[in-house]
Amino acid sequence: MSMPPSTEHARSAGTAAPAAAVPSVELRRITKRFGSVVACDDVSLSVRPGEIHGLLGQNGAGKSTLMKILTGLVVPDSGEIMMAGRHVEVNDPQTATALGIAMVHQHFSLVGRMRVWENAVLGELGRVDRDHARRVVNEVGERYGLAVNPDAYVDDLSTGERQRVELIKCLRRRPGLLILDEPTSVLTLAESRELFSVLRRVTTDENTTVILISHKLDEILHATDRVTIMRGGAVVARRDTAGTDARDLARAMVGREPATWTAASAVGSMDALVQGGRAATEGDVRLRLTDVRATARDGRPLLSGLSLHVRAGEILGIAGVEGNGQAALGDLLSSLLDLDGGTVEVGGSAVPTGEPGAMHRAGVGVVPEDRHASGCVLDMSVAENLVLTDLDQVSGSVLVSPRKLRERAARLIEEFDIAVPSPDTPMRLLSGGNQQKVVLARELAARPTVLVAAQPTRGLDVGATEYMTERIHQAARDGIAVLLISTELEEILTLAHRVAVIHRGAIVGEMTRADVDLERLGLMMGGRAA
Amino acid sequence: MDSVELILASAVRLAVPLAFAALGEWIAERAGTLNISVEGMMLGGAFTAVAGAGLTGSASAGLLFGVAAGLLVAFVHACFSHRLSVNTYVVGLTLNVLVLGLTSFLLLKTESRQVDKLTIPLLSDIPVIGPALFDQRWPAYLLAALVPAAWWLVRRSRWGLEARAAGENPQSADVTGIDVNKRRRQALMLCGALAGLGGAYLAVAEVGTFNQNMTAGRGYMVIAAVIFGGWTLRGTLAGVLVFGAADAMRLALPALGYTLNPQFLVASPYILALIAMTFFATTRRGPAALGRPFVRGIT
Amino acid sequence: MTLTRPGARHADRAPVRSRLRTPLLYAVSFAVALALAAALVTVGGHSMADALLALYQGSLDGGASIGQTIDETTPLLIVAIGAIVSARAGIFNIGQEGQLIVGAAAGAAIGLFVPGPGWLVGALALLGAALAGALWAGIPAVLYYWRGVDVVVATLLMVFVAMQLVSFAVNRDYLLQETAVEGQILSPQSDLLPEGVRLPRLGEYPDFNLGTGFVIALAVTGVVAYLLRHGKWGFRLRMLGLNPVAARRAGVRAAALGGGALLLSGGAAGLAGGVMLTGGVYRIQAGFADNVGWEGLLVALVARNHPLVAIPVALFFGVLRAGGGFLASTGVPRYLVSVVTALLVLAAAFPAAYAELRKRRRPAVEA
Repeated sequence: MSMPPSTEHARSAGTAAPAAAVPSVELRRITKRFGSVVACDDVSLSVRPGEIHGLLGQNGAGKSTLMKILTGLVVPDSGEIMMAGRHVEVNDPQTATALGIAMVHQHFSLVGRMRVWENAVLGELGRVDRDHARRVVNEVGERYGLAVNPDAYVDDLSTGERQRVELIKCLRRRPGLLILDEPTSVLTLAESRELFSVLRRVTTDENTTVILISHKLDEILHATDRVTIMRGGAVVARRDTAGTDARDLARAMVGREPATWTAASAVGSMDALVQGGRAATEGDVRLRLTDVRATARDGRPLLSGLSLHVRAGEILGIAGVEGNGQAALGDLLSSLLDLDGGTVEVGGSAVPTGEPGAMHRAGVGVVPEDRHASGCVLDMSVAENLVLTDLDQVSGSVLVSPRKLRERAARLIEEFDIAVPSPDTPMRLLSGGNQQKVVLARELAARPTVLVAAQPTRGLDVGATEYMTERIHQAARDGIAVLLISTELEEILTLAHRVAVIHRGAIVGEMTRADVDLERLGLMMGGRAA
Repeated sequence: MDSVELILASAVRLAVPLAFAALGEWIAERAGTLNISVEGMMLGGAFTAVAGAGLTGSASAGLLFGVAAGLLVAFVHACFSHRLSVNTYVVGLTLNVLVLGLTSFLLLKTESRQVDKLTIPLLSDIPVIGPALFDQRWPAYLLAALVPAAWWLVRRSRWGLEARAAGENPQSADVTGIDVNKRRRQALMLCGALAGLGGAYLAVAEVGTFNQNMTAGRGYMVIAAVIFGGWTLRGTLAGVLVFGAADAMRLALPALGYTLNPQFLVASPYILALIAMTFFATTRRGPAALGRPFVRGIT
Repeated sequence: MTLTRPGARHADRAPVRSRLRTPLLYAVSFAVALALAAALVTVGGHSMADALLALYQGSLDGGASIGQTIDETTPLLIVAIGAIVSARAGIFNIGQEGQLIVGAAAGAAIGLFVPGPGWLVGALALLGAALAGALWAGIPAVLYYWRGVDVVVATLLMVFVAMQLVSFAVNRDYLLQETAVEGQILSPQSDLLPEGVRLPRLGEYPDFNLGTGFVIALAVTGVVAYLLRHGKWGFRLRMLGLNPVAARRAGVRAAALGGGALLLSGGAAGLAGGVMLTGGVYRIQAGFADNVGWEGLLVALVARNHPLVAIPVALFFGVLRAGGGFLASTGVPRYLVSVVTALLVLAAAFPAAYAELRKRRRPAVEA
């Protein structure tokens, strides 16, 4: 089964620096299956004390599952976890906390209706001392440059501020191991740089070990000491960051030469993309938003005077840092959001907002940001999911025709190359890529004049990403006006004819693909006029 | 003036058993359980208190039996809702049916036994509020300690912080390292103890004996009080007092020569709670995850 | 896991064991529930055999008993079907007890005071009962879609308002209270419905006899089951219940469809009240609902929201209710039936939940 201990030891000693022979944390031969999907296949990972270790891989490579295992959120089928050379069992998050493992989650672990200081001490032991907690929040904040008001309610904070609270919450426990899961997806470029300098300070000053999960090459190259690369649930390469480059990492991550623009997009290397623009088309304006304004139920502004237009056959990319109104824009065009002011016109005529199904009827197809939340019904079958919005096509005035339902499903499954055992399979059992294909198939089957694609490749593997990218291109070639909303700049640069930047619920700048200047784009996304 | 004093005293007297249970319900709801079985906890508490008083010959000991019965109901509820994740309303309703059936089935004839009154000298002579606050059965004064204790527990203690997190955002609480379902079970057990005490108080302090279905919906009134109070302790206790006053008026007004609709007064707590929910729905909300089972990995 | 010995064909055996586990769990939990009930009867100084015999005699032994069982089943089934409709839309209505009694009161008012041919007034009474029940559920529906007031809490609170409302009506001689008769004290109840407006009964006591309400119950069940499975309405209802956001994107109006489902479930409870009234009780009083609303809701839950499964479950509950009436004659208090019902509901909930828990605790352990 496993190798003799001596061999094992000799091997790890060979790669480790002499000063740190005992890894701070070591995962040995971890395997985890979800149904038939192998999320982690015999994965081993070793991290030295005081280093920033990158865990690089595409979406769906198994990085998050591996870290969930380390934090006790997922129990592995087999394998072993060692900390400082000792075997440990991490069966729940409580144990992980006790072992000094802290994680900054992709989706924050904060309680919105509690104050910052309350969140900061949540999950600790001992007496709750408000004054002390406040002081600590301020101290930790000062030490690492993470200023935030300890008495504010988390609900009232911006996403960037929330992440600071999350970091303070972790750091104040002086964890031995700090894990960050895609921490920059909600940050501006400047904020990201600040974050990395904080991480560097944490490792040098406190000898904390950091694992940084990312799928962005630039980030890994910039911030880490060593990097482990995963693909398809397995570790495919290990590198010292200093001795590698973007091309090498990308090759390992994708498993082949990232020659095409789709692969470049998937691995997040911008270098390959800056050249080569496409000319914008001069078709009719199919979608026009004029000065749209909306507020959240708690009074926060969501959209503040946003205007844009998309022409037939054109792809307009909306770039921006997450949490700047992208979700609201998607919701608006899904009839999920009511406006305080402004108009939405599709094909020249105004569409009422917030009225269920109105956008769909007007010819707007949407591949929503969170397909589980609004794109499909996981507990209904694939065939049923394919007709969610067009039920009338397969039914009479009262009854649904099972025959027409299946026929339509069979046709779309064939046309969109969806891998599914039968149309009656529950949506829940499909892979992310196939779920996304179902959503896209349904939306395109309705022959829309406008297609909104929000984070269309998030969480997809490279094959599915390529597929989605190609389909979106095809849609534009067919004369559909495409609005692409993405926080992945690479994706936008790959696809869009024109790029608009969204910041705090409004479009703050626009340029054609050919005129894109990364520096300027970055400044705009950070809210600085350029 | 005399009748005001009388009604006030009676209102407080009727509010005391509700107040015990409401403290518990408040704690349970803050931790995320909309506990419908509080009715069963109270009824079970009332029954066992009388049985226990008969067994030991001491009405005070009966109170402890009541607490135990409340705990037992809470234990069953907690196991079903926060271990097995069975729908909490189903479990609550079923337990109410069960306890009502059990106590009716076992209905016992016992002699009346009541705990003593404790009249606090001087203070009870204060006009208007004196008799209301300082001339009650002795266990009522436990509230003077339990109310601040409950407040401190929920608002200030480590346990309360974690329980509130479990009620507001169980997913976040979980990844932070809090055992959400354990906190919820503990909150429910506290609710059981307090509701059992409330029921016991009703039986061995206020009435002195057990009648079939003697709580008669007081548990639901307690739920209404927590809602009426907008999930704050102060508001909950205010609700309990208002409901006690409505009850007192129902009893007192005919004797005083007024005719106010008894049915309306009985229904008033529920109507008030509905009105409170309607008008404060946007400003005073319950815990975000109230009534939702927590299962790791499902959002 | 624990049974694995070296050489055991683990992969082959595990599925068999897990397939056997669930029925076994059901058997064990029902046995525990019945044992508890038996212990209770024995503690009370009675004989379990006598109690079972009485339950049998009251519910299944002979035509009259069977008729009685069916009469008890009818309203339970109608309430359950309504509860299933709202549950499918993702809305949890627990106020059937109140909706039922309000419906019955409206039915009584129509039956007593509306002039006209008996069959027409009878039909109107049933219709009025359904409408009144729907109206009573409509208040929480409006509060929910207008102000976001929680449906569970609102429907629950409305139960107690309903009971006082009906109590009010049957205590007022200008409303529903019975007509004064010289020398008699007025009771808080209505007059008996005139013969003509009552639902016809088949057969006669002491032989097999039952009300025709069960026809209504079966018709309602059949139509709802069919439309839930094959209708556009059922499709949309499921969509709404399983993912309200996706449903809205697809053009489903939650307030109309979901609110409608809540109204329907209230209407069903009201109709059940109407059927009880015109089918056998004939007069309304404060205790009219007699837990039928609560128990109907439990039927839906035990049937896991499948309308056709609700038929046998309701029948089982009906057996217990009918038998309970007979139980008193043996000296065992009829409350035993509530205890048994509650224990069985818990027993029915346990195995599935336990299996879920095991699955979560040991993910993919058999792989």
